[in-house]
Amino acid sequence: MIQPVAAGRKSGSKASLFKRHENLMPLSIFAGFILVIVSLQLFTQGFSKFPTFISPVNILNILQQVGVPGIVAVGMTLIMLSGGIDLSVGMLASLVSIVTASGITTWHLGVPASIAAGILVAVLLETLMGLIISRTKVEPFIITLGGMITFQGIALLVSNSREVILDGELNFLKVNLIQGAKDPATGLNLILPPYVLIFLLIVLLAGLVLTFTKFGRRIYAVGTNPQAAYLAGINVKNMRLSVYVIMGFLVGIGAVMLLARVNTGIISLGQNLEIDTIAMVVIGGTALKGGKGNILGTLIGVFFLGSIGNAMNMLRLPSEVQFVAKGLVVIVAITAGDISSKVSDYMTRRRDQSLARGDLATEGGGGGTE
Amino acid sequence: MGQILRLSNISKTFPGVRALQGISLDLNEGEVHCLCGENGAGKSTLIKILSGAYQPDEGGEIFFDGKKASLSPRVAIERGIQTIYQEHIVFENLSVVENIFAGLEIKRGLFLDRKEMRRRTVEVLEYLKSRLDPDARMRDLSSGEQKVVEIAKGLVFKRRAIILDEPTASFSATEIENLLDIISTVKRNGIGFIYISHHLEEVFRIGDRVTVIRDGRVVGEHAMAGLTKSRLIKDMVGRDPSTFYQRDRVEPGELVFEARGVSGNGIRDLSFGLRRGEILGFAGMAGSGRSELMNVLFGSARLERGEILIRGRRVRHGNPKAAIRNKMCFITEDRQATGLFLPQTIAQNVAAANLVNIRSLVIRPSDEIRRGDEFVERLRIKTRDSTVLASTLSGGNQQKVVLAKWFNTNGEIYIFDEPTHGIDVGSKQEIYKIMVELLRQGKAIIMVSSDMPEVVSMSDRVIVLKAGRLSAELRREEITEENILSYSIGDSKI
Repeated sequence: MIQPVAAGRKSGSKASLFKRHENLMPLSIFAGFILVIVSLQLFTQGFSKFPTFISPVNILNILQQVGVPGIVAVGMTLIMLSGGIDLSVGMLASLVSIVTASGITTWHLGVPASIAAGILVAVLLETLMGLIISRTKVEPFIITLGGMITFQGIALLVSNSREVILDGELNFLKVNLIQGAKDPATGLNLILPPYVLIFLLIVLLAGLVLTFTKFGRRIYAVGTNPQAAYLAGINVKNMRLSVYVIMGFLVGIGAVMLLARVNTGIISLGQNLEIDTIAMVVIGGTALKGGKGNILGTLIGVFFLGSIGNAMNMLRLPSEVQFVAKGLVVIVAITAGDISSKVSDYMTRRRDQSLARGDLATEGGGGGTE
Repeated sequence: MGQILRLSNISKTFPGVRALQGISLDLNEGEVHCLCGENGAGKSTLIKILSGAYQPDEGGEIFFDGKKASLSPRVAIERGIQTIYQEHIVFENLSVVENIFAGLEIKRGLFLDRKEMRRRTVEVLEYLKSRLDPDARMRDLSSGEQKVVEIAKGLVFKRRAIILDEPTASFSATEIENLLDIISTVKRNGIGFIYISHHLEEVFRIGDRVTVIRDGRVVGEHAMAGLTKSRLIKDMVGRDPSTFYQRDRVEPGELVFEARGVSGNGIRDLSFGLRRGEILGFAGMAGSGRSELMNVLFGSARLERGEILIRGRRVRHGNPKAAIRNKMCFITEDRQATGLFLPQTIAQNVAAANLVNIRSLVIRPSDEIRRGDEFVERLRIKTRDSTVLASTLSGGNQQKVVLAKWFNTNGEIYIFDEPTHGIDVGSKQEIYKIMVELLRQGKAIIMVSSDMPEVVSMSDRVIVLKAGRLSAELRREEITEENILSYSIGDSKI
């Protein structure tokens, strides 16, 4: 028992400022999940066939499916790190899609102006909620719940409760960037639309901002202890506001992407988006109470949740099972994460305390002779 | 007059601290027995033993009606001891009646007997000549009225002893009068009171006996009749000053901070100056407004009137951010709640306050770790390196992390609010050394402390606050425990 601890301390290479091991739990559960699916495929379809689940075409397929929720999940990570939450993103995305689609078809604003209008609406509405949340003591949960219901109503009013069908005006957003590329395993066409790249770009940017900027550091501080953050000179109100403004922008972009994919502005477009994104973020190890988590974890959560449905299809399981599987994954990931952090906390505390006690004992001996 | 309870030779040891040593105390029927002592003398620990929340160490005995008893919170209540803590533990959304009967409801069959509960409440409230509405919600009552409800509860359930811990904090003058009247009424029913208060006027008005505690021991027990205030104060202080920490003195430099007629956050019209190389101590009883004043000075509470000058220039810092830019630092009293980011690393904690001064957009985590490691070494924080989480450190080391956070801002004017609160003796001395080192570097320190030896030994001057006002300003040679205490609880020196 003593040996590994001592060894751990010696090899204790400079741990990073952000505890990377926080991501180990979701990552290992995800790896285990992939392993199970791949071996199931191998056993049922024979070892001669390449497991389609990890074929390039399928990975790109998953990326297409998670691109938009992934963009929103990045915003959700920032909000949750600061100690907030946003339940309104799903209906807000629906509203944006309807506004943009109506802008193109019924209001004849032209494509760029319609897209801008959709994103602007999202930013404005999120800013409004952010102002209320940051300037009063009300719960973000309640305010964004109210937002969700309100946005749904506005979306239905704008569209007269009908769907707004596009004529492919946004097709430029889903062109295949790697036209002609074929999957070596299956021979199918590979498709990489721009919004997958945008998603990856946003992930990269958010990761850099959180780790290497003052802004990122302040989000963590505010989420960990707003009182101490205020006394350390951080403008807690504006920090809380800014994450919602960013979320508005990301929801706007995501909704336009979604609209491009399905070519129709409709209320059901953003349905369950808030639930999926929150699930992705928490699977990735970000705490609801704020201050703990990172973008890398969210990226894992995004892929994890995104590949569940896909894997179910591969195994020819009924789609209803998806919900059960998604729900169980959330529960298992969170519970396992909590247990593992308790264990590791206990280990570090014991190690640090024995370290401190050892030093104190020697020093106390010296001090006593004075 | 029968004896309700008696404590004999009660001690209580916590890891590293002897909170109580051989305390003996008794309470008779129909008597108000006051407990006096400075902040941290051990009064709160004693109350927790009486209420059964703490068990005394081996050798201590508690007698109830002459028979030996061991108290748990439940047994204490069954025996009729009711403890009314300083912080109210009430159900804010329930009515007066519901609060009195919470957990002890009268039932008729399966259902609550609301009528009966209300009847008994009204009966007691009428007896107390209180005009409280039994159906009012607790949260709509003032803290004075809430105390009355709790005393009424004692009468409703025919309790034998009621313990009141600092009941009049945040009371208005009429509320204090009202409460004291009610206690006089209730004690005629044979109920005994243990009454803890900093306010000597109250003690002299309603006390029958007074016991003085200092550093966990009983130093005197007096009948109230014939006792004088100065005698009581002498009992409460009276340590040997030669045992205090001896700090090195530094020649004070130029005036660096000035408050002129500062009012706000409960503070009224306070003026003082602070020189480089000087520690200005702020003393006073709990609730005298010391921390409130510090918040005003630091911009985290509103300055209503008056002005603050830093290096001769008038500043208007409406928030801590501006105060930090003006080179102020605020080491708060509750380091876990307002000083530290516990789940974050030492490096992140150290970096937090200096973000204000950083112009560049990009921050390198490796720089922060290097900076953190420097402070770990300089302040001798006992840990592996600065990537350790702040939550895993001991109190003394956590306090050093808070200090490092402020040193990192290159501040010049330091506010220390209870710098060594809850810290072991060894770390205490280290922090004193660090403070003197700051003075040598030409920094200035404002120190709030309830630790009397700390105030006496560390301060170059002391301002005593009382009810948000200046009670006295003591020069170096006037700083004695006795002076500080008498200006804190007695008359002002103006």
